[in-house]
Amino acid sequence: MKAVCWMGKSKVETLTVADPQILNPHDAIIKITRTAICGSDLHLYDGFIPTMEAGDVLGHEFMGIVEETGKAVTNLKRGDRVVVPFTIACGSCAFCKKQLWSACDNTNPNAHLMEAAYGYSGSGLFGYSHMMGGYAGGQAQYARVPFANVGPLKIESDLPDEKVLFLSDIFPTGYMAAENAQIEPGDTVAVWGCGPVGQFAIASAFMLGAGRVIAIDRLPERLQMARSIGAITVDYSEEDVDVLTALKDLTGGMGPDSCIDAVGLEAHSSDLKGLYDSVKVALLLETDRPIVLRQAIQAVRKGGTLSIPGVYGGLLDKVPFGAAFGKGITMKMGQTNMHKYMKPLLNRIQQGQIDPTYIISHRITLDEAPDMYKIWRDKKENVTKIVIDPWATKQAA
Amino acid sequence: MSDALKEKPNAESLPKSNGAAVLIDGHYAPPPADKDGKLWVRTSARIEAEPQQCYDIWRDLENIPSWQEEIVEVRRTGEKTSHWVMRSGDKTIEWDSEILADEPGKRIAWHSIAGDAQNAGEVIFEKAPTGRGAFVTVLQEFRMGKLATAWETLIGRNPKQAVIENLRHLKAMAETGEIPRIEPQPHGQRGTVGEMKKSLYGEKVPVPSGTKERVSA
Ligand SMILES: NC(=O)c1ccc[n+]([C@@H]2O[C@H](COP(=O)([O-])OP(=O)(O)OC[C@H]3O[C@@H](n4cnc5c(N)ncnc54)[C@H](O)[C@@H]3O)[C@@H](O)[C@H]2O)c1
Ligand SMILES: [Zn+2]
Ligand SMILES: [Zn+2]
Repeated sequence: MKAVCWMGKSKVETLTVADPQILNPHDAIIKITRTAICGSDLHLYDGFIPTMEAGDVLGHEFMGIVEETGKAVTNLKRGDRVVVPFTIACGSCAFCKKQLWSACDNTNPNAHLMEAAYGYSGSGLFGYSHMMGGYAGGQAQYARVPFANVGPLKIESDLPDEKVLFLSDIFPTGYMAAENAQIEPGDTVAVWGCGPVGQFAIASAFMLGAGRVIAIDRLPERLQMARSIGAITVDYSEEDVDVLTALKDLTGGMGPDSCIDAVGLEAHSSDLKGLYDSVKVALLLETDRPIVLRQAIQAVRKGGTLSIPGVYGGLLDKVPFGAAFGKGITMKMGQTNMHKYMKPLLNRIQQGQIDPTYIISHRITLDEAPDMYKIWRDKKENVTKIVIDPWATKQAA
Repeated sequence: MSDALKEKPNAESLPKSNGAAVLIDGHYAPPPADKDGKLWVRTSARIEAEPQQCYDIWRDLENIPSWQEEIVEVRRTGEKTSHWVMRSGDKTIEWDSEILADEPGKRIAWHSIAGDAQNAGEVIFEKAPTGRGAFVTVLQEFRMGKLATAWETLIGRNPKQAVIENLRHLKAMAETGEIPRIEPQPHGQRGTVGEMKKSLYGEKVPVPSGTKERVSA
């Protein structure tokens, strides 16, 4: 089959590789019909996440048709159409029982690597480094999906693939970010990052009762998209704009009730603080660039909540913990507990409350993926979300 | 006990001690330190199952190759004795083992009596506090010898880690009926550092099958 492979930092290739096979009784093989490139993939592309290995198949946002099932799979059969969550969960450990699906105990074959780094291991993830399980990903024509009784969400209506594809990660991720923000009716919520995760965090904040959402980014097409669903926007790169001042100005000096960091460890900055982080990262004295995290801790009101869907991987420098303590804020974060949100969010799509396709800007083939990674990283061509049809071939020009 | 604190709605009665010596007189005791060529490892897992179920998996000696790493055969040789065969790469190590204590649903203790390996161990199965599944605690001791050296040099895995991984596999078996694995799976050209990294990531040790049967339908 064809698959998009990570071949080193800033190096991605579409290669022909072996087809996946059933390895465990609860496995299923999915023939992938749609897949996507995520902001999280950039952290791999840019070499921020350790334990990637040349040849690893990328991709964790995918859906398709069940091709084959292991002998213990009881609720799926060949021909079923499913969306696959990016976190792999067993459904029977203490964490799965608590709905903390992304903390599953039994799905990371390399748990010892994550234990060494984090104390305990989270669930395995598709296409996201050996530390996180080493599972081959879904930017491919087929994928092996473990615990198929627990993860894949069956789509029985005739909704097109594109409308449900983002249930595989970014819609639940944006939704959990808004839920973690502990929004009360009428609250003001600030969202850093208007990428796909930020977009769904904004939409979900409104669904959960926010009165006002303030969206922060620098890319005009993304800010426009945020305004199109009702958010007030702030361009942090405009001359004379100071984000903290802007947030005070827009909240009567009180600060947002909740802040959402939908940017994560590769936050962009052109001022001196950003340079400081880039130099430290280059010297391996720091692994992440917590520019947004610092701002959000400063910006949130006293007793407010900071929700962090943006990914952080390692060691952060100069995080104003005194400010967090001094204001008595709450922080919630983590990989999305996917399985908890997929079904309720599918219902919202089915009822027409949201059409997630509004974020798609590019539809491509697997062969075009390597070039698109570059465009995605540089945020060229007004890119907002890239969807791949793994069976499409390039049209002859 | 003093009666300074009377409100403890969910508190267990103060445990005095337990097996594998995690607690002594209600106080935590660290695992024994390595010395004189003896290595110790103590590890524990909370498992969503009854202690008896975990015991049953462990006590089914002939089935041990399906969940312990690199063990290819365990054969009963007597009422309390068994013969163990371990294969690492192309190297085979064999030893005989004797069960010293066997309390169904509670505890198994053993030691090696002959062969290439000198080891002794104890595994305790108990109810976790406030009824939350089982605590399984393993205390194992090795002498540096063929067994420990083979593990370290051939597999690149510390023998202590093997004990930790085996308990992880037991937990996965008890909770889900399978052991998570990724090999063999599709990938592009690994390049020259691939193999080195594989052993670094501990991926050179084949994951035990978890079953003797076919997995596809
Ligand atoms: N928690 C989870 O389970 C989970 C799941 C998916 C994605 N994520 C993470 O969410 C984050 C966003 O993902 P995405 O797909 O939207 O990525 P993306 O790269 O498309 O979006 C990031 C956005 O942040 C903006 N940005 C950069 N620096 C900024 C700054 N200083 N202030 C404000 N905005 C800034 C960029 O312009 C961009 O629009 C990533 O870190 C990703 O890894 C987490
Ligand atoms: Zn993603
Ligand atoms: Zn689980």
